[in-house]
Parts: sequence; C-alpha cells; structure tokens
Amino acid sequence: MGVRVEEKKLMNNGVTHSGSRFFWQQAQLIDRRTSERYARVLLRGPELPSDVAVGQFVLVRYSDDPCLPRAFSVMSSSDLGLELFVKTAGRVREKFRTAPMGTVFEVRGPYGTPYADKISLDRKYILVGGGSGAAPLLHFRRQYPNHVAGEVYGFRTEDACGLLNEIELTVESTTGLRAHEQLRSIWRPGLGILACGPEPMLRLLAQEYRQQPDVYVSLEARIGCGVGTCLGCSIHTSTGMQRICKEGPLFALEELPWLI
Amino acid sequence: MADLVLKRLDAQFASPIILASGPAGFGVELAPALDLPRIGAITTKTITIEPRTGNDQPRLVDCPSGALNSIGLENPGIDAFARLAHSQMRELPLRRILSLAATSPGEMETLAVKAAKLSGFDAIELNLSCPNIGGKITGADASAVREYVRAAVGVTSIPVLVKLPGDTGNLLNSSESALSVGAAGLTLINSVRGLRIDWTTGRPFLSRTYGGLSGPAILPVSLARVFEARSAFPEAVIIGTGGVSDLGSAIEMLMAGADFIGIGFGLMVDPELPQKLAVELDKWLDEREMVSVQEIIGLAHSGGFDVH
Ligand SMILES: Cc1cc2nc3c(=O)[nH]c(=O)nc-3n(C[C@H](O)[C@H](O)[C@H](O)COP(=O)(O)O)c2cc1C
Ligand code: FES
Repeated sequence: MGVRVEEKKLMNNGVTHSGSRFFWQQAQLIDRRTSERYARVLLRGPELPSDVAVGQFVLVRYSDDPCLPRAFSVMSSSDLGLELFVKTAGRVREKFRTAPMGTVFEVRGPYGTPYADKISLDRKYILVGGGSGAAPLLHFRRQYPNHVAGEVYGFRTEDACGLLNEIELTVESTTGLRAHEQLRSIWRPGLGILACGPEPMLRLLAQEYRQQPDVYVSLEARIGCGVGTCLGCSIHTSTGMQRICKEGPLFALEELPWLI
Repeated sequence: MADLVLKRLDAQFASPIILASGPAGFGVELAPALDLPRIGAITTKTITIEPRTGNDQPRLVDCPSGALNSIGLENPGIDAFARLAHSQMRELPLRRILSLAATSPGEMETLAVKAAKLSGFDAIELNLSCPNIGGKITGADASAVREYVRAAVGVTSIPVLVKLPGDTGNLLNSSESALSVGAAGLTLINSVRGLRIDWTTGRPFLSRTYGGLSGPAILPVSLARVFEARSAFPEAVIIGTGGVSDLGSAIEMLMAGADFIGIGFGLMVDPELPQKLAVELDKWLDEREMVSVQEIIGLAHSGGFDVH
C-alpha cells in the first residue's frame, strides 16, 4: 500500500510537505537579461519557495547532472519567481546565458541562516558588494530599506551596469576605485557593514575594519549537500567549526580571525 | 509489492539501501527529508577518539560525474558524540551503523570500548580507508587490518564491518585478514584518491592537493571490487558503496554480489535518492514478478537471468 503513495509522490516530483526544501523542484527560466559576464535571471515553478529570507541561497542544477550543484544567493523571491544575479562562468552558470527561455532547471532550498537572525537590527549598515555578491545585498535593501546607510557595489568593468539599474555601481576601470576604497568615504563610526563578494575584497575590508563592531561578511565555498550534513563547507571560526550552508553564509568578522 | 527486507548481521533491515558514512552526517538534519522506514540503515560520519576539525577549505571540487572531497574526518570525537548527537540519532526509526577510525590498533580498542557502551547500533564499521587524513591507508596493509579488526572484535558484541579502499593494496588479502579474525562483513569501497588542478592558476583545487573521488565516476571500480570479494567470500556480508546514483546502478551493485547498497555522493546531491531507489527497486522487482530482492543478489555470478 505504502508503495503506491510513494509513487504518487514521485510523479509529483517527489514533493512532500516536510521535505520539500530538501528536494529538487523544477524551475523554468522565464526572464533573463545578460551582459558580457553576468546574467540576471528569473526562475518560476509551482513548488519554488516564494518566501526566501534575505541572505539565504538555493542550489541549482541543470537536468539530472551528476555533478555538484551550484549555490546562488537569492536576489528576490515572490510569487513571480526567484531572481538570481550570477556571473556566467562555469557549467550551470553559462547555461543561464545560453539556455532558451522556458528551459527547465532544478532548484532546491532555501538554505542558510537569514541575515536578520545574525545581525542586530538596531543599527544601520553600509552594504558592500563585489560582483555577483551584490545579489543578497539587493535583497536586503529591498526588505530593510530603513537599515541601509549607504551602498557600494564594486565591479571591475561597467559590463553589469545595464543589469542592475536600481543601484549605482562603482566601476574600477572608470573610477580607479575599488569597493573598499569607496567605502572609506561613506563609513563613519556607529555604522555596521554587510559585505558580500570575492575573498580578496573581503580580506581588504577585514584588514581595515577589524576593530569595528557590527562588520559582517558573507562567505562562499563549494556546496555539497547544502543542508549541513556533508561538512564540505565547514570553516574555522573563533567558536569552532561552522558550516557556511547552515550557520552561515554570513559571519561576524570577529568570528573569522583567518580573514584578518 | 516485492520484499526488500534483508536478514543479515543478526538483524532485519527494511531494504538494501544504506546511507554511507559521511554525506549523511548523523542523519538528524536529513530526517525530515528521508522516508526512514524504507531505508535499511544509516552509517554515521566516521568518529574518532579525539575531536577533529578536518581539513582546510577548499574541501570539495567538481569532477565529471562526481566530486573530489577532502573533509578530513571532521567529527566531534566519541565523547561529544555520546553526549550530544547520539540521543538524537537514537530517536530516528531506522537501523544504525557506527563508523570508527583510529590511528593504531590500541586506539581502536579504546575507541571500540567506548563505542560498545553506546546503545542503538546494529554494527560497527571500521573505516580503514579514508584517503584524506595523510599517512598510510591501513586497509591496504593486510596485517595491519588484522590488528585493527582484532582490537575491535575483542571488545564489542555487535558485528564488525571493515571498510576497505578500492584503489590501493590487495583487496582480497585485506578482506581475508579481516574475516579471519571475526569481521562479519566488508564495506567496499571508500572514495578513490584523485586530484584536480585549477588550470587558470596552476594550483591544485583542494587544500590538501588530493581528495577522494566519489559519484558515478567510480561505479565500475566499486562493482569490480564487490564482484571479486563476493567470488572469494561467499558468506561475507558486503555493503557495496561507490557511484550508485540510479535504479540501474543499484541493481548492478546487487547483481555484483552486494547485500546492501551504500549511497554517499548520490545522497549529498539529492537527499531524495535513497527513497526513490527503494520505491523504484520495489517496482522493478514487481514488474519481473520477483518476490524478494534476494533473487538478484549475486545474480551476475550465476549466469544472470534465465532467458528461455
Ligand atoms: C563528503 C563525503 C564525506 C565522506 N566521509 C566519509 C567518512 O567520514 N567515513 C567513511 O568511511 N567514508 C566517507 N566517505 C566515503 C563514502 O562513504 C563512500 O564510501 C564513497 O564516497 C563512495 O561512495 P559514493 O560514490 O556513493 O559516494 C565520504 C564521502 C563523501 C562524498
Ligand atoms: S554543504 Fe554539506 S554541510 Fe554544508
């Protein structure tokens, strides 16, 4: 008897209520804008989560690909779909550029601890993004506009400008300034920092602001399971090993002595 | 509905599907996703006597049809496990196998004494084959295997399994050593030592250079090891682990002679895989009017299906 119920579940793409965030859900590519190096994509599917909290990420794979899935921070999530902002390099990511509209990807998640569970919401933050690290920060500014004191989004070239028209980008090739240098002109004591971007950017920022309270950085690693069991994403912190996919991806700077 | 139940190791297992050591952790996080009554058993992440923080990042890198991992046996140590995770794990309604690793036979004995005090385990699996901790791989040395197994068997009353490498040492000699001193079975295989280099920087991807390859890429290797071991040891319990990712590969593993199918990488990528396999295997047996999964275990050793 149990078998038949199971089969129905499978036909229904395996969705059970309690387990749905663990299971691959189908997601159609329904909107896309691309530049040379980036893509801003909208995925929609009946079982996709519509209430992803700021800072959480999803895993994406293309069909039954027997490789590791890719993790992407969510830029927005609603009934319209899940919006991602990705650098188009690598297998899954290049597909975001080349696949025809309507292509079906698979998504599972969301995973990770929401930013709001880790930061104090009694102060304002400067958001510092580098490249596709802008994605969760755009989510943050939309959800918590009153907690944003300033923003810096660093990009190497102006390539991405057309994709992110809601924000102003700091383009290194035209201004000669990098994100952390731009930050100097707007940061003042009392403000926190939320940073997401490549590790070299986070390192520069960490060196400069290590004495300050309320500095948080979002980390990346190759994700395996996404749910905290495989320990592929464990990192050293001042309070022991923590998992980027579970306790992270956001960490307080003082938890990461190796970054400073 | 075909019978997936197997009686082995003095116990009854709901199905031949076993969650391999590592990717499932202690099962607690995954429990809501798993159809526990359909899963034969869960194997814990390998536990050591002292806590281990494991290797530095990066620990994972993609490979065609699989991944290299270099976790380095991160675990809380047996005492913290006993205090914290053990009771949560005991609440999960499925059979449990405790994976242990040690750096000497003496340490293995100490560890096994502690392990024997933990209730709720149906077997102990000695991980003698981790490719990610440096030093020699114990499982490749038949006389060392004998010492480790003897140390554990002497102090526990539950069955002891030995997890051996698929790519180094003489598998049959190591298996023979283990079984001759009281091991009840073999888990074949651990991940296979491999390397990937980031050709844009000229540096290895993983922090410890090498990692262990798992996933569909190693299926032929694990099948060969299971087949060899089954030929040589008709009575041993075998958990065939390595590259099972779909119904076809699961059936192949059984036909090669495995009693159980371990799922590692496949679970990491798709937490739903174990129950999908159980459901699909059941259906496949039904369609062929087979009453029990027993009918296909080792089938490739006896000429396959009768096609008249
Ligand atoms: C992330 C990861 C962690 C692992 N950790 C362990 C471990 O702690 N102990 C162990 O005996 N095997 C460990 N393994 C090996 C698996 O149990 C399994 O033997 C191997 O990966 C081959 O099977 P697969 O292709 O189904 O993954 C690990 C594998 C992976 C991918
Ligand atoms: S990716 Fe598996 S524990 Fe984080």
